[in-house]
Amino acid sequence: MGMFENGFDAIVIGAGHNGMSLAAYLAKSGWSVAVLERRTEEGGGLNTEEVTEPNFLHNLHSNYHSLVGLSPVYDDLELLDNGVDYVLPDVQMGSIFADGTALTIHTDMRKTYDSFARFSKKDADTWMRLWDEVGGYMDLMVRTLMFAPPIKLNDLTRALASWGVEERSEFLTARLRSISVADFLDKHFENDRIKAMLAFHAAICAYQPHIKGLAVTLPVLLGKIANWHLCKGGSHRLAHALMRVIVKAGGRVFPQVPVEEIVVENGQAVGVRTPDGFIRAHKLVASSVDVNQTFEKLLKREHVADSTAAAVAEVQYQDATLFNVHLAMNGLPRYKAASFDPDIERAWILNIGFESLADFKDEFDRIRTGQLPASPRLNVAVNSLYDPTDAPEGKATGLIRVFAPFGLADGGPEAWRGAAKDFGRRCVERWASVCTNMNDDLIRMWVAETPYDISQKIINYRFGDWMVGRIHPKSLLEHRPTDELAQYRTPIKGLYMCGASQHPHGYITFAPGYNCLGIIADDYGMDKWWQHI
Amino acid sequence: MERSEFDVVIIGGGHNALTCAAYLGKAGVDVCILEGRHEWGGAVYTAEHTAPGFCHNIHSNFMEFLHIMPFFEDFDLPSLGARTIFPEAQAGMPFADGRPPVIIYRNDMIERTCKNFAVYSQHDADTWRALKTQANNLEPLFAMGLYTPPALIDFNGPLPNPHEGTMMMMKMFGLDPELAFKSIRDCIDELFETDEIRAMFYRVAVEFCGPPIEWPGTGGLFLFSCLIMPGCWRMMVGGSHRLNGAMVTACLKNGVTMREASRVKKVILEGGKAVGVETVDGHKYMARQAVVSGIGLKDTFLDLVGETHLSDYAQRRIKNYKDGPDQVLGSVAMALHEAPHYKSAAHDPDVDKAWYQIVGYDCAKDVLDYNRAGHIDRIPDLPAAGVWINSIWDKTQAPDGKHNLTGWYFFPRASALNEAQWDDVKATYNARFLSLYEKFAPNMTPSNVIADYLHTPLDQERGMRMREGDFGHGAMSIDQLVGMRPYAGAGRYSTEIPGLYLCGSCTHPGGGVTAAPGYNAFKILCEDFGYPEVWRSNTRPY
Repeated sequence: MGMFENGFDAIVIGAGHNGMSLAAYLAKSGWSVAVLERRTEEGGGLNTEEVTEPNFLHNLHSNYHSLVGLSPVYDDLELLDNGVDYVLPDVQMGSIFADGTALTIHTDMRKTYDSFARFSKKDADTWMRLWDEVGGYMDLMVRTLMFAPPIKLNDLTRALASWGVEERSEFLTARLRSISVADFLDKHFENDRIKAMLAFHAAICAYQPHIKGLAVTLPVLLGKIANWHLCKGGSHRLAHALMRVIVKAGGRVFPQVPVEEIVVENGQAVGVRTPDGFIRAHKLVASSVDVNQTFEKLLKREHVADSTAAAVAEVQYQDATLFNVHLAMNGLPRYKAASFDPDIERAWILNIGFESLADFKDEFDRIRTGQLPASPRLNVAVNSLYDPTDAPEGKATGLIRVFAPFGLADGGPEAWRGAAKDFGRRCVERWASVCTNMNDDLIRMWVAETPYDISQKIINYRFGDWMVGRIHPKSLLEHRPTDELAQYRTPIKGLYMCGASQHPHGYITFAPGYNCLGIIADDYGMDKWWQHI
Repeated sequence: MERSEFDVVIIGGGHNALTCAAYLGKAGVDVCILEGRHEWGGAVYTAEHTAPGFCHNIHSNFMEFLHIMPFFEDFDLPSLGARTIFPEAQAGMPFADGRPPVIIYRNDMIERTCKNFAVYSQHDADTWRALKTQANNLEPLFAMGLYTPPALIDFNGPLPNPHEGTMMMMKMFGLDPELAFKSIRDCIDELFETDEIRAMFYRVAVEFCGPPIEWPGTGGLFLFSCLIMPGCWRMMVGGSHRLNGAMVTACLKNGVTMREASRVKKVILEGGKAVGVETVDGHKYMARQAVVSGIGLKDTFLDLVGETHLSDYAQRRIKNYKDGPDQVLGSVAMALHEAPHYKSAAHDPDVDKAWYQIVGYDCAKDVLDYNRAGHIDRIPDLPAAGVWINSIWDKTQAPDGKHNLTGWYFFPRASALNEAQWDDVKATYNARFLSLYEKFAPNMTPSNVIADYLHTPLDQERGMRMREGDFGHGAMSIDQLVGMRPYAGAGRYSTEIPGLYLCGSCTHPGGGVTAAPGYNAFKILCEDFGYPEVWRSNTRPY
C-alpha cells in the first residue's frame, strides 16, 4: 500500500466541506495533506444522489448555500473557477397560507416590500428599515461573529455598548441576548403572517423561534435572507471543486478509509490508525467529525482528561431534526395561491403550514414529545425552477422537509422505518392540497428519508442533527462545543477541531475550517496568504 | 471566469475518457473534460441504493484488467486510492439439492480449480488445467491485442477474414481451428462433459455482455469469456467508484481541467472540422486541436454532430450499429444481515466465499433457457442471478457486521418492455429471486434482507446513456469488434470529421473496464498531433 507509507504533514479526518477547505488551504500552503473519509463519497452533507430515478438529482442534505459572497473561502480557494456554478433565485422564498394568500421574498427588496405591504404597510416599512440597517453592519457582523474564533457574548454586548450602537440602531440592542426570535418579531412587527415568514426563515436555519437568547444573532441571519444560492448540478459539485483544489495543490482525498483511532504518543497526536494501518501525521491531525466521535471513539480514553470527557458527554444536539421526501415529477407544481401572488410559483423555498408564531411553538413542543402531526407543516424546495439540469428535460425534482423528532414516542429512532411511508404520503398530500396539479400524473415517484436514515448515512449528524450541535445560547460562541475546546485547539498537542461541532455551527459557511486554519497558522508560524477578515 | 479554449476537449467522463485525459495531461496537452452527470466515472459507479452505508456497484464490479491496464501502472493508481482485493475462489455455483458446488479459482490457483472439477469429472479437470495454463501463458499477447489500436481495414485491398486471428488463437490453445466458427456453447459442450460445469460456463460466457452463446462464429469469444477472464477478477476496495476517484486524481495531478454537470449538446463544426463543443447551459469550450468523444456512437454522431454532416456511408453504418445484445443487465442490490450460507457448502465451504456466486440454476439447461429468454424479449421465468457480497472481504462496504449483495440478472434490452412493465419487474422480481435463493441458501429469508433495489435496463439507458441498457455501448459480436468497431471507417479512433475522435466503449476493444479505448485513442492522437508518446514503457511492448 504505497499510498500512506510516507505519512503526511497534516491528516484531516472527514471529507466534509469544513475538513476539505482546511486541507485545501494547508495544501496550498505547501503542506502534504491527506483527507481521510469513511464514506464512499467526499463531501459529507454536500451529498447529491439519484434516489428516485436516474437523472433526477436530489440534494439529500445541504441544499441552501447562503454564504456565497460572504464567506472568504470561495475566493481564497477560487472555487467558482473550479467548476462551481451558483444561481441566485430571484424569488427566494415564500409562504402559502390556508386562505389562499401568499407572501414572497425577492432578491429585489422593493418587490419584497410590495408583498409585505399587502399584509401590513407598517410591517413592510419596518422591514425595509431593518433591511437597510442590517446592510450597514452585515459585513462587520459576519466578520466578527463567523469568520473569527468565537468571542464571548459578554464582550460582544460590551462592545455594542461602547460603540454606542444602541443609540444609533433601531433594532440592535444588548437586550437581544436574552430574548427569542419570536420576542424580537413580536416587538417590531404586527402581522402574524409576516412574523411567520421571518420566523420560518430562522427556523430552517435551525434557529428555533422560541429559544431565549437567539435573537442576538438574528440580524446576521436576516441579512442573508436574500442570499440563498442554489449550486447548479447538485450541491455535490462544491465537493468536487474542493477536491480539485486539494489535488491540484498536491493534497489527497481518500474516501472509504475510515479512521479507527487518533494515535497519541506523549501527549502529542502523531497519526491515525485505519484498516490500512498506521498513517503518520508529521505536524498535526485535524478532526472535522463531531466532538463525541473524536473524543469518545477515536481517542483512547487514557488520553482524555476526566474533565474533558465529562464536558464532551454533556454536549447537546438539536431536539428537532428533519424528515425529507424527495420527489421526481413530470413538471413544475402550480399553486392555487398564484391567483393572489403569481410570483409564488417561482419561489424556490416555500413555507406551507406555519401561519403564526404560535404554530412554531406548537410544532417544536410536539416534536419534543416524539409525536407526528396528522397534517404536517412543510418546507418545500423545487430546485428545477432555477436549475433545469437537475432533472430530465421538462421534468422536475422536489424536496419536502418537515421538522421531526429523531426518535418516535412509540419505538424510538428505528421506528421510523415503519412510519416513513405513511408519514411521507401525508407530507405529499399536504403539498398537493395547496397545488392545482399535484396528482399521480405529476408525481412519478417519491422516496422518504427519515431522521434515522440521515444519522446512519452521515454519522456526524448525531441524532439527525444537521447542525452537529444544538443552536442554543449555551451551545454557541465560547461554549461550542465545550468551553475548553471552543478555540479549535484540544488538550492534545497537534490535534485540532475543524468541523461543525465548532463555532459557528453547521451549514455551508466553511467558517469552522477557516477559523481552525487561523489558529493552526498561529501555532505553526505559517505565512497567512489568505484574506484576513 | 470560466476558460473557454483548450488544445483538446473531451466529451464524457467515463473511465475511458478519464484515461485519455490523464495521458494527454501527462503529455503536456491543455485538455478539458466535460461530464454530463454530477459524478465522474460513468459506470465505474458505486451508490448506496438500498440503505445508508451499503455500497452497491450497480454497473461494473469485476475488475478483470487491472493487472494488465497501462493506466493503472503508469499513474500508480493504487497510490491514489485504488486498492484491490483478489479473492481466491473467483466464481462458485451452488445447487439447491446441496450437491457439490462448482468453483473456479484464481489464475494462479489452477490446481484448486482442477480439484474442484475432478469431484465431477477428471476429464474436465484435465481440460481446464491444459487450457487455463495456456490462457495464462498467452495473457501478454491478449493484453497486446487490447492495448494496441487495430489495423485499419481497407476494403479496397485484400478482404480481411475476421476469423483469421481466432483460428490462430485456437491453434495456440491446442484446439482445432474449426472451433473459431462454432458457437461458444459448442466449444463448451465439446470440451467439458459435466452438466454442472457446463452450467457454470454457460453463465460465465454471458457476463461480458456478448452475443448469444448459441450463435455460430462466436468461438473466439469462448476463449475470452471462459478461459481468459475467470481467474482475473479483482475487487476495488471501497467499491468500484474508488477506481474512478483515483483516475480523477490522476487527471487533476496532470493538469486536466474537469467539469461535471456539463452536458454537451453539440459539436461545433467550422468548415467541416470539429473545433469545439457547446454544453446545455450554452457554454462553449473550443478545441484548438481535437474534440474527443467518450460517449456512445449514436449520441456522438446523430445527437451532437447531426447526420447532415455525415457521409452516406457513415450514416448507414452508424444508424445500423447494434446497441444492445439481446440480453442486458438488470442489477439487484440487497442490504443483508447475514451473508448467504449455501447447502452446497457442506461439500466445500469455499462456495460461501466465492466472490461471484451464481445462484438459481440447477442444471445447464436452466442457464440456456435463462439466456434464451432475453433473445425473445422475455424476462427469464427462472429468477436466477450472479451475485457478489463484497463485504465478506471489504468491511468498509457495509455497516458493521452487515453485508452488501449486488448482482446481475440478464434481462431483454430496454425497448423490449414498456415503462409500466419495467416498473412491474422492478417491484416484483427481487422477491421472486429471494424465494428461489432460499432453496439454495436457507438463511436467505425475507427477514435477512434489510432493504433491496432493482436497477433495470431502462434505468441503465436513462442513467448512463447506454442505449438499450447495453453496458458494452454496442453489441460485442464479431461484426462489431476489433477494426470493425464501431465500423471499419472509424476503427482507428479517428472519424471522417477532421478533428473529431472517439475514445469510448464503441471503439476497440469495447465495453468493460479495460481503459483500452481511451489508451488507444491517446496513441492515435500522439500520431496525429505529435504529442510526446508518454504511453511508452520499458515494462511492456504496447
